Amino acid sequence: MGKHQLEAIALLCSLLAVPALAASEAPRPRGVGPEFAKFYKSPDTFTCISNPSLTLPLAALNDDYCDCPDGSDEPGTAACSHISPLSPPSPPTNPNPAARFNETLALPGFYCKNKGHLPLYVPFSSVNDGVCDYELCCDGSDEWAGVGGVKCEDRCAAIGKAWRKQDAERQKSLGAANKRRRELVEAAARLRREVEDRIATLGAQIQGQEVKVASLEAELAGVERSERGRVVKGPGKGGKVAVLASLAKGRIGELVESLGRVRGERERARERVRELEQILATFKEERNPNFNDEGVKRAVKAWEDYAARDKGPDSDPALDRDLDEILKSDAENGLNWEEFESTEESDVEVLYKFEEYLPKPLRDWVDQKLRDLRVTLIENGVLAAPHSDSGDSKAVQDARQQLESAKKDLENDRKELTSHQEDLQKEYGPDNIFRALKDQCIDKDSGEYTYSFCWLGQTTQKSKKGGGHTNMGNFVRIEKVTVDEDLPPDGKGLGSGERYSLVYENGQHCWNGPNRSTRLILACAEKDEIWKIVEQEKCVYRMEVGTPAVCESAAASGKAPAAKDEL
Amino acid sequence: MVKHENFKTCTQAGFCKRNRAFADDVAQLSSWASPYNLDPSSVSFKDGQLSGTILKTVGKAGETVRLPLTVTFLESGTARVTVDEEKRQKGDITLRHDSKARKERYNEASKWAIVGGLEISTGAALSRDTEAGSTRVNYGPAGQHEAVITHSPFGIDFKRDGETHIKFNERGLLNMEHWRAKIEKPAPKEGEEPPPETAEENSEDESTWWEESFGGNTDSKPKGPEAVALDISFPGYEHVYGIPEHASSLSLKETRGGDGKYSEPYRLYNADVFEYELDSPMTLYGAIPLMQAHRKGSTVGVFWLNAAETWIDVLKSKGSKNPLSLGTKSVTDTQTHWISESGILDVFVLLGPTPKDITHKYGELTGFTAMPQQFAIAYHQCRWNYVTDEDVMDVDRKFDKFKIPYDVIWLDIEYTDGKKYFTWDPLTFPNPKKMHNQLDKRDRKLVAIIDPHIKNTDKYPVIDEMKSKGLAVKNKEGNDYEGWCWPGSSYWVDCFNPAAIKWWTTLFKYDSWKGTFANTFIWNDMNEPSVFNGPETTMPKDNLHYGNWEHRDVHNINGLTFHNATFEAMLERKKGEVRRPFVLTRSFYAGSQRLGAMWTGDNLAEWSHLAISIPMVLNQGISGFPFSGADVGGFFGNPSKELLTRWYQTGTFYPFFRGHAHIDTRRREPYVPGAPYTEIISQALRLRYQLLPAWYTAFHEAATTGAPIVRPNFYVHPDDDKGFAIDDQLYVGSTGLLAKPVVTEGAESVDIYLADAQPYYDYFDYTTYVGAGYHTVKAPLDKIPLLMQGGHVIPRRDRPRRSSGLMKWDPFTLVVVLDNTGNAEGTLYVDDGETFDHEQGAFIHRKFVFDWATSSLSSINIGAPGAKTAAYAKTMAKVRIEKVIIVGAPASWKDLSKVGVSEEGVKESKAGKKVELKYYPAQGGKASWAVVRDPKVAVGKGWKIEFA
Repeated sequence: MGKHQLEAIALLCSLLAVPALAASEAPRPRGVGPEFAKFYKSPDTFTCISNPSLTLPLAALNDDYCDCPDGSDEPGTAACSHISPLSPPSPPTNPNPAARFNETLALPGFYCKNKGHLPLYVPFSSVNDGVCDYELCCDGSDEWAGVGGVKCEDRCAAIGKAWRKQDAERQKSLGAANKRRRELVEAAARLRREVEDRIATLGAQIQGQEVKVASLEAELAGVERSERGRVVKGPGKGGKVAVLASLAKGRIGELVESLGRVRGERERARERVRELEQILATFKEERNPNFNDEGVKRAVKAWEDYAARDKGPDSDPALDRDLDEILKSDAENGLNWEEFESTEESDVEVLYKFEEYLPKPLRDWVDQKLRDLRVTLIENGVLAAPHSDSGDSKAVQDARQQLESAKKDLENDRKELTSHQEDLQKEYGPDNIFRALKDQCIDKDSGEYTYSFCWLGQTTQKSKKGGGHTNMGNFVRIEKVTVDEDLPPDGKGLGSGERYSLVYENGQHCWNGPNRSTRLILACAEKDEIWKIVEQEKCVYRMEVGTPAVCESAAASGKAPAAKDEL
Repeated sequence: MVKHENFKTCTQAGFCKRNRAFADDVAQLSSWASPYNLDPSSVSFKDGQLSGTILKTVGKAGETVRLPLTVTFLESGTARVTVDEEKRQKGDITLRHDSKARKERYNEASKWAIVGGLEISTGAALSRDTEAGSTRVNYGPAGQHEAVITHSPFGIDFKRDGETHIKFNERGLLNMEHWRAKIEKPAPKEGEEPPPETAEENSEDESTWWEESFGGNTDSKPKGPEAVALDISFPGYEHVYGIPEHASSLSLKETRGGDGKYSEPYRLYNADVFEYELDSPMTLYGAIPLMQAHRKGSTVGVFWLNAAETWIDVLKSKGSKNPLSLGTKSVTDTQTHWISESGILDVFVLLGPTPKDITHKYGELTGFTAMPQQFAIAYHQCRWNYVTDEDVMDVDRKFDKFKIPYDVIWLDIEYTDGKKYFTWDPLTFPNPKKMHNQLDKRDRKLVAIIDPHIKNTDKYPVIDEMKSKGLAVKNKEGNDYEGWCWPGSSYWVDCFNPAAIKWWTTLFKYDSWKGTFANTFIWNDMNEPSVFNGPETTMPKDNLHYGNWEHRDVHNINGLTFHNATFEAMLERKKGEVRRPFVLTRSFYAGSQRLGAMWTGDNLAEWSHLAISIPMVLNQGISGFPFSGADVGGFFGNPSKELLTRWYQTGTFYPFFRGHAHIDTRRREPYVPGAPYTEIISQALRLRYQLLPAWYTAFHEAATTGAPIVRPNFYVHPDDDKGFAIDDQLYVGSTGLLAKPVVTEGAESVDIYLADAQPYYDYFDYTTYVGAGYHTVKAPLDKIPLLMQGGHVIPRRDRPRRSSGLMKWDPFTLVVVLDNTGNAEGTLYVDDGETFDHEQGAFIHRKFVFDWATSSLSSINIGAPGAKTAAYAKTMAKVRIEKVIIVGAPASWKDLSKVGVSEEGVKESKAGKKVELKYYPAQGGKASWAVVRDPKVAVGKGWKIEFA
């Protein structure tokens, strides 16, 4: 109907523009709209509109008997209302067995003039059925026969007035909505500019950071070089290694023991979980779902959610094998503590030890020479660097720390830059408008739940009877969808045409069903508001949302704003 | 899958096990004399009734138990046999456990089931040819029926025209378990062998006489063993039908094992059977203990009026009627064994001789189908649940938007405030008035569910009143029985109690149950009763009802009493506004047809469940409760779009046509599946609406004659022995419409069985099928295999409207389908579709006759006028016949372009008006047909169209 209505309105507008012409028209047969008037002008016969081979006497027009296979002889009655692909099929009436008449209704419906309001077509099946269809036919002309005593007074004056008032409000609201949208667009542009500015700033910052990192790297190299030759002495005989080994041995012993104990506890816990899961699975299997005990149902549902969640591998056999290995005795692992406890001195350390027998000045001299030699040897790869358990010296550490910190800053700035650059590539809808709304959230109470969505964020549901928020989906993309809905008088509905839609997927898993998902469908309104929430099928939700964000775009795409022209 | 462990087998029901074992023992004996003997000296006959005393010999010493017998001969030709037990009757027994239960055998089943047909025959008389050892009574029309009562052992043969059709106690399985005191045997001492049992103690197995346990519930059985059983044979009958409700074939199967046979008896014990099993004798939600036996040329029946748990064994034996007459066809005898847990023996014997006689005479006894409101036979849209009032209004709007007709939208339990009936959930249904108003705009209705369990909770006046007035069912101690159902802890209203009915009525008044209106109607569910924590999901058998009858005695009637209370309440919602009630029930008993419709309970969205729905609905039809249907789409699970579409095509032939779905399923309203399914489903729905005049006429026939609304082959063609077992195709009323719905996946055609030599025409394109036997009819997804048998006139209304109420003033189309002699006739019944004015003549009842000899179609009044006839006729004066289609039109009409039309009450000068005729010749296997263009004759008047 939507299209026809629009056409009708367009036609009406042109008629109003030339009232003189309209007035001079011969009266049309009942139910004929002005655009079809030309088919009803012949003074003595009527030719079926879509089947011109069939000509009828004028008396057959609107005589409440369907003659034309396309229904065009009954524009003012319900006699041809059965012509529809939804009706049970009937045998062909074309005398030529190879041909079939055009059996599609030639007219959009019964034309209600609705003087004082907008003319509209009402379906033929609603003509003379005893019900005044004021929504489409405010003049009551659809019940002209008065079947069963029905009388449909002309209510166009009142309905038209109310409509005009509402329309004015809608227009006003639309104005406000458009204003609000412009603000949003500005805000979005501002936000985008901020991002762009930030990108510029970051660019400069990163250059500086890169220079800083380079110089710190050079500095570190220098410090390391000077520190590398320094000999480190052990604190006493037997060496640190032996002490460490004995400590480590003790510690590892403890760890192995604890690991064994924890592992045992884990196995027992796992066994209990398995048992509980088995109980719950049986419980779910054997309960009678028809009994619908709320408590039981909640428990089963929670169990289903639990069972559906990604549990990860029950136990990784490789990890378990590793544990087995770890728990073996050290000897089995090829670890001989004794070797470490009675340390043999390394060749390098022996080299140093010979110094101890020299007099102090000579010792210093030798020391210096040796150090240089050692550095040369090490630098030339002749000698391995000494194993030192005390790590780097303070100076090296400080230098390294500075370098690391500078690198980190650089890394962070680069990350931020990438993220902002990506953000600029992201789809934010027409005029980037959703940028201005991002992460703002809207709630609505509907029955026992409070629903909410966050722009480009998440949709959620919360029961008034308690319990937490259920995630109904995370934003994934913007789409366009075609809708065809009746528009309530307050304009709070989707109407007909192409609409923006935000798709939220991969919400919480549903008992016996998919992961929850939500589709928002947006239509122009003065403020952000959820109009309606329906669960279309199990755990697949649809929210009809009014927002100024999509207002002008509708106008820009050549469509009249939803709220404007349809009643 | 059904949970077998929740429901008893015969072996787990003591009385069934005992009687089956008894039958087995008897079968093994070479000679067996039943211990029941009619004392000849006690026999008397007075006013159409024979009385006497049967003596049952018990024990070796020959003591006897006195069992009073009556055989009543009714004017209708039906005989009624009752046997009671004197000692219990007189209260001369003691009950165990200090039980408060009544001592008599339950004798009030007839109070609930029987509403008429009990006029005593004035012509019945003792036969003059007397024979020693028997008493003979002649009765029935022209004395053609005869009851031969054999004294020793007791037995009765029922004869018609000299031939025996039904035999009582032929096999000697009559068994009235007489009252006896429990003899407590000393328990054997620890470590000692129990003493050897004496021969006498050994004679009977007492193990199931006293307490019995099942599934954690113990039945205290204060009255001890009290079963009543009888074998009933149908000599020469191969087919028996009836005893619904079972998910089984129409023709009953044998039940004592073997290939393709059941090993359990058919069981009647109303229960909430979850995910029920197909092709099974398991019990379901309702019980009608009427069985009919059929063979070529004869149909007879028995109606076993007992409300207790009942099991029925069926055996068939092939044998020659006369072993010496070689060459004659062997005949099959059907033997049945009826076993009930308690109550008196009370059996009606119906001697036919046609299927129509059985349904008519049974209907006279238990009542005919109530004439429903028009909307009730249109399409119902249900779901567990439409979750808010907005949801309801949205679905309502969508039907209009998609131009799909529907009449009624339903609310399951979630509309209530916490499962408290007679309340609305304030969060989800804040505005029931707005919702009702929107529906009423298109003359649509709302059905809300009301169940018999009342929530045990605070601040709920309904439970407070019920408890304070003492109207709840009691437990064995006599306190209010508490069980578990949807609301959790609940009590059950005891509708056996007249005071409970009165109280129940008050709850439905518009000013009591706020938010209900003239277009609110009711659905009664869970009235078996379903008790989640009870034995077999129902009440303990030792619970007590009004009058201190044990639940065991009345169980199968329980659903009817609740349905009845709601029906009564619907009549009294508002003074001066009496409309025909509509109440759907899940549980039922003989007589429930007077109160509303039933459906086949919680089925599954599977092809097999679609297939079984046809025999189940057919069986309801021949068993006196024809206003029946299965949930379209299947209750549990999600049907494929193909299955959903085929189900709508099948559902369009259910007398009760409702789509329904479980709460965990996806939405599946007709507009949901999309192209091409939505379009095909819409066609099926519009077909139902187009044929509503034919359906309404069929309902009227059911309401006045007891005839089924959809009929199996044997009923329509009782002499076609090849078609006696056919239960997958159906006839709509007397219209000659024959449908064979597609019930298999991916089908492209079906084989439809034609019983006679008449031409059958495809409903949609007039393709002709002639010849008895199977014919292949193309059936792609968008095609319903539907034929019209030659010889009928089918009334239609072709204008698609949003609801049936909006078709009220539309003109009619008549489809005249000529038979092979060129004749046709049919009827049409029309009334206002809502009030009781039709009882005062406010209706149109016409017969249309196409006569070959005079080549004319006439409309003849067949209704008796009443006080409101004229006023109604006035309202209908403008409703006309707009079109007459003649299928199989003679070739001689090729050149006929005008026909003459005359109408009653129209001046002579105008009487000879001519209207146009269009003739379409036969081509490509399709019949010739002709259309009379708008004869403009009133549907309520006499008229004649002359074709020559």
